[in-house]
Amino acid sequence: MITFEGITLLAHQKTLLKNTNLQIEPGDKVVLHGPSGCGKSSLLKCVIGAIPLADGTIQVDGLTLSAETITEIRGRIAYIGQEPKLGAQRVEDALLLPFSFKAHRHNQPSKGRVQELLQRLRLSRDILEKPSAQISGGEKQRIAVARALLLDKSIFLADEITSALDPDSRSAVIEELFRPDITLLSVSHDPIWIEKADRKIEIQNQKLLETQP
Amino acid sequence: MSVDLSIASMLAMYGLMVVPLAIFFYLQLGLIRDTLEAMLRMTVQLILVGLYLKYIFQWNNPLVSLAWVAVMMIVANTSTLKKAGLRCRLLFWRTLASIAGSTLLTSGWFIVVSIRPDPIYEARYLVPITGMILGNCLRSNVLSLERFYSGIRKNEEEFTTYLMLGATLREAVRPYLRDALKAALNPSIATMATMGIVSLPGMMTGQILGGALPVEAIKYQIGIMFCIFTSTAVAALTNILLSLPAAFDDHQRLNHAIFHPSP
Repeated sequence: MITFEGITLLAHQKTLLKNTNLQIEPGDKVVLHGPSGCGKSSLLKCVIGAIPLADGTIQVDGLTLSAETITEIRGRIAYIGQEPKLGAQRVEDALLLPFSFKAHRHNQPSKGRVQELLQRLRLSRDILEKPSAQISGGEKQRIAVARALLLDKSIFLADEITSALDPDSRSAVIEELFRPDITLLSVSHDPIWIEKADRKIEIQNQKLLETQP
Repeated sequence: MSVDLSIASMLAMYGLMVVPLAIFFYLQLGLIRDTLEAMLRMTVQLILVGLYLKYIFQWNNPLVSLAWVAVMMIVANTSTLKKAGLRCRLLFWRTLASIAGSTLLTSGWFIVVSIRPDPIYEARYLVPITGMILGNCLRSNVLSLERFYSGIRKNEEEFTTYLMLGATLREAVRPYLRDALKAALNPSIATMATMGIVSLPGMMTGQILGGALPVEAIKYQIGIMFCIFTSTAVAALTNILLSLPAAFDDHQRLNHAIFHPSP
C-alpha cells in the first residue's frame, strides 16, 4: 500500500505537484500519464527517497518515509527505470548484483529459477555470458525486470519499462508484473500497458487526478 | 658537506632563467609576467622557510616543530580540497583528520621505529620527513577525492540503482571507491617501479649533495618511499570514508553543496 498525503514536489524551481493526495491499495495496478515533464517520473523517485518532497508525507505499508525508515522502505520496493542501469560488466553479474549486498546475500536464487525466469521473459540463456554494454535496450529492460522479480518484492515502481520492447516481450513483462500479488505504480505511454492498468492517474494542474477508463 | 653557494653563484643561477624568458619573449607566449612572479614568490617563500627552519632546528622544541607540521597540514588540506573541486566549509575537518592521521602514522613509524634519533623529536628529522610525505601525497589525495565524487555525480542513477537493490551506503559507493583508489595509487606504483632509472629521487640527491654516502642515502630513500605509499593509500581511503557523512544526506542522496560551482 502506498499513500501520498498533501505532497508538494518541486524540481528546478518549478512546482510539479502541489498539496495533492493519492492512495494505492495492495494489488492495484496504477498507471500515471500526462505530458512529459509534468512530474510522473519524479513522483516515482520520491517514493524511494531519491528526490525530496517539499511538503507532505509518503507512506509505504504504513511506514512514513523518513531517514529512519528509508532502508526498510527501499527493501520492500523494486524500482525499474526507463533506461535501467545494470551496474556490472557482465549480464550475469548484473542480474545477481543485489545478492552481493549484505541485505540479500543469504537469498541467492537457484540456477534453475534464474533460467526459468529468463525463459518467461523471452531471454535466451546465453545472454548471461554477454557484456552488459553489448545487449539491446529491450534486453536491458527485461534483465532489470528479472532482477527485480528475483528479489521477491511486492511493490513495483516501473518507469516506461516497455518502451524498447517488441509486442511478444511486452506481453511477457506485463504477465509478470500484473500478477495479483504485485502492487504496481507505473509511468507509461504504451496504450496496451495503460489499457491493462486498473487505475489511471493523470497529473493536471499540479494535482493527481483519477481518470475514468 | 656540500659547497655553500655565494651570492655571485646564486646570481649565476638566476641568470640561467634568462634562457626560458628569452624563449617566451621570442615566441610571444605571454608567460613572462607569470614566470617572474613565480620566481619572486618562490624566492621569498624559500627564504622565509630557510629562516623558519633555521630557528626550528636551533630550538629543537617538539611543540614548535609540531606546530609547524600542523601549519603544513592545514595548507595541504585546503589545497587538496580546492584542487579536487570540493568545498572546504563542509569537509575541512574530516579531510584534515585523514591527512594528519595518515601522515603522522607513517612519519612516526619511520622516525620512532627505524631512524630512532636522539632526542626522538629531533626537528631535523621530524619536519622534513613529514613535509616530504605531505607534499608527495597531495596529488594522489586530490586525485582520489576528485575521482570518487565526480564518479558518483556522473553516475548518480547507477548509484541510486545500487541503493534500490539493497546496498548500504558503503556498498553503493564501493565501485567508485575502487576506481578512486586505483587512480590515486597507480602513479605511485609506477614511480616506485622506475625509481633510480628514470629519475633520481630528491631526498637521495639531497643527502648525497649534503655529503652522505650513496648507500646510506638509498636506505632513507626506500624508507621515505614506503612512507609516502602507505600514507597515500591510507589517506585516499580515509579521506573518502570520513567525508561520506557530510557528502550524503540521511536518505543517502549526494549533497551537491559539497561541490564548488563549476568554473
